[in-house]
Amino acid sequence: MTTSTIKTSTDATASPPQAPAEPPPRRQRTRRVERVYLWFLLPVLVLFTLAITTPALMGIFYSFTDSVGFGEFEFVGLNNYLVMFSDPAILSAYGFTIGVALSTVILVNVVALALAIGLTSRIRAKTALRTIFVLPMVVSGIIIAFVFQFIFANTVPAAAQALQVGVLEESILANPNLAWISIVLVTTWQAVPQAMLIYIAGLMTVPRDVYEASAIDGASPLKQLRSITLPLISGFILINVIIGFKDFLSTYEIIVGLTDGGPGTATRSVAMTIFSGFEDGDYAYQMANSTIFFLITLTIALIQLRITRGNARI
Amino acid sequence: MPHDLLSPSRRTFLGGLLGASLAAGLTSCAGNSRSTEIAFHQSKPEVIPYFRELIAEFNQATPGVRAVHDSSSGLSAGFARGNPPDLGCLNYNYEIVRFHERGAFSDLADLAPEARIDPSIQALVDQYPTYPGRTSVIPYSMMAAAVLFNEEIFAEHDLEIPETYSEFIEVCEVLQDAGVPPIYSTYADPWTVAQGLVDYSVGGAIDVAEFLTRLRELGPEAGPDASVSFSQVLREPLEKMLEIAAYSQPGAASRGYGDGNVAFARGEAAMYLQGPWALTEIATINPDAPVGIFPLPMTEDPEDLQVRVNLDLALWIPEASPHQPQARELLRFLIAPEVADTYNEDNLAFGVREDAPEVTDPRLQYLQTYVDRAAFYQGISQAIPRTIPFENYAQGIVTGQSLEQTLRTLDEDWARLARR
Repeated sequence: MTTSTIKTSTDATASPPQAPAEPPPRRQRTRRVERVYLWFLLPVLVLFTLAITTPALMGIFYSFTDSVGFGEFEFVGLNNYLVMFSDPAILSAYGFTIGVALSTVILVNVVALALAIGLTSRIRAKTALRTIFVLPMVVSGIIIAFVFQFIFANTVPAAAQALQVGVLEESILANPNLAWISIVLVTTWQAVPQAMLIYIAGLMTVPRDVYEASAIDGASPLKQLRSITLPLISGFILINVIIGFKDFLSTYEIIVGLTDGGPGTATRSVAMTIFSGFEDGDYAYQMANSTIFFLITLTIALIQLRITRGNARI
Repeated sequence: MPHDLLSPSRRTFLGGLLGASLAAGLTSCAGNSRSTEIAFHQSKPEVIPYFRELIAEFNQATPGVRAVHDSSSGLSAGFARGNPPDLGCLNYNYEIVRFHERGAFSDLADLAPEARIDPSIQALVDQYPTYPGRTSVIPYSMMAAAVLFNEEIFAEHDLEIPETYSEFIEVCEVLQDAGVPPIYSTYADPWTVAQGLVDYSVGGAIDVAEFLTRLRELGPEAGPDASVSFSQVLREPLEKMLEIAAYSQPGAASRGYGDGNVAFARGEAAMYLQGPWALTEIATINPDAPVGIFPLPMTEDPEDLQVRVNLDLALWIPEASPHQPQARELLRFLIAPEVADTYNEDNLAFGVREDAPEVTDPRLQYLQTYVDRAAFYQGISQAIPRTIPFENYAQGIVTGQSLEQTLRTLDEDWARLARR
């Protein structure tokens, strides 16, 4: 697009007889435009290198040492990694985190898709409803977590008592077998809007006439959903699943606000174990943990990149 | 809220990093050529305004030195960058111990005669790993904690302060029969379980410092089957703790520190296992709350009674500080009896000097005799590196997880830490 605008501008200024002399100045101009873009990139590149790449590389470096975060250290080879793989606290944190991420991803996508279908159909007050459903996105996670902490610890048990629902009379936050559900629910509540927006965009790409044609052939709405809508937005589903899974793996503030890893260690996520390394001189060890965690998220990101690229080509 | 209890670094860590870099940027710009600027790190939230005034006083009285009060920077980040504060005044816990034991603090032995710290209190510093041959940490303020009880409820049921374990259980039985919840527990906040129930039960039953020394001597040999272990030593006290915990109000599992303060202040339970920091909160809710304090009896011998203490504030000067003389000047200003005694009286704390005056607060006077006899211990929860989620383990035990299994995990965690 850039080249074409430049071309038209040169065409406009240059008179017809000089046309053969056109290529060299155009190349020059193109190069100048590119340099401007490089300048645009530079600040971000510098910040990214200083704030993310360099610390990440330093972290990986320290994961092969016995550093406590300051002072002298020695190289210990792969020791941190070896100890880590036999550390039940870390292994169970991975199990818990992956389990929660999977459950959340399923729930988020089911709810978001249902809402998106509802909000793209012919209903009243569509814009107002969309706005309302997007609201959770703008509230900070830790605030959501504290509000829900109060609801789960006080409101729900009180309501259960009034309604004589025995199971819910004790807060689920206090139950090591159920506390994870609260985390899935609250994370879902917060994550649905983003997924929903992507689905709304996806549903808008499905042409109306396909539905009309199928309706003439006598397809029921359910059949339309299964055989038209879902296949046509499959790319969006994939994106949502992968982006969501990657995000939910690093859940942190919602857990801190809801259960702080408890009861016991029932809801300690990987991010929380990593953070404990800063608090008490377990720096190098938790750097090894975060290196592994980084590799896992990197793999997911690469898969996502592949899929989205493939999608763009279609 | 008490600052040693909150693991403040988790939430303030990122903010701290940001603040620290901003502060570093600002101080380098604000170079006043006449006076040396030193950073005074003090972050106990309740007393920040108090120290701000104190520092202003110091700056006025001391030409040539300008102390800057820093209450937000991340300590770890400061040490990691080689730019720690010039004088630290913080709770002495494991976060500080790790700097101490690696020799990050300078030797203050020459100031010891001036500080005149009570030897039994200075000894508390040595219960954690130290750096040999140095006096790196000078205690400033000590807090003593035990069981808070409602004097009115006790009087109503003709109850005496229990001095043995069986008397304590008897008290709980009487209260329970009368329909008064004997103990208010707040399991939703793991630290309250660790610092209350667990620390009191263990500290009242065993010699915590000696146990830890023997455990550390084992080094990587530690483990559930070693000659000294959490599994062996803590099992009995913690079984008794579970008997005590059973007298908690219904629904304790979903109640937090704030709920506990409100409920106890309103007289909804007879006892509350919290430190003196809760007294301030309780007084805010109900200024007339009739609160008394007694140590939790864990044996059948009243001679065994002890209270839990912690060095709520202790002073140290990092080796990396380029302003040693100025930092020492501020330190000497702070330990002057008139300054230190005022601080401790104002903040429900015990003085640490040999000749420190007695506490004046009527509630704390219950504990004065124990402090005088050095009948105190530091809580076991404070001696376990934070990388082991001990508070969460404590919460797990009282909410129904297997004690035996948890102690085993604790032993294995400890050994794993010693091996790397």
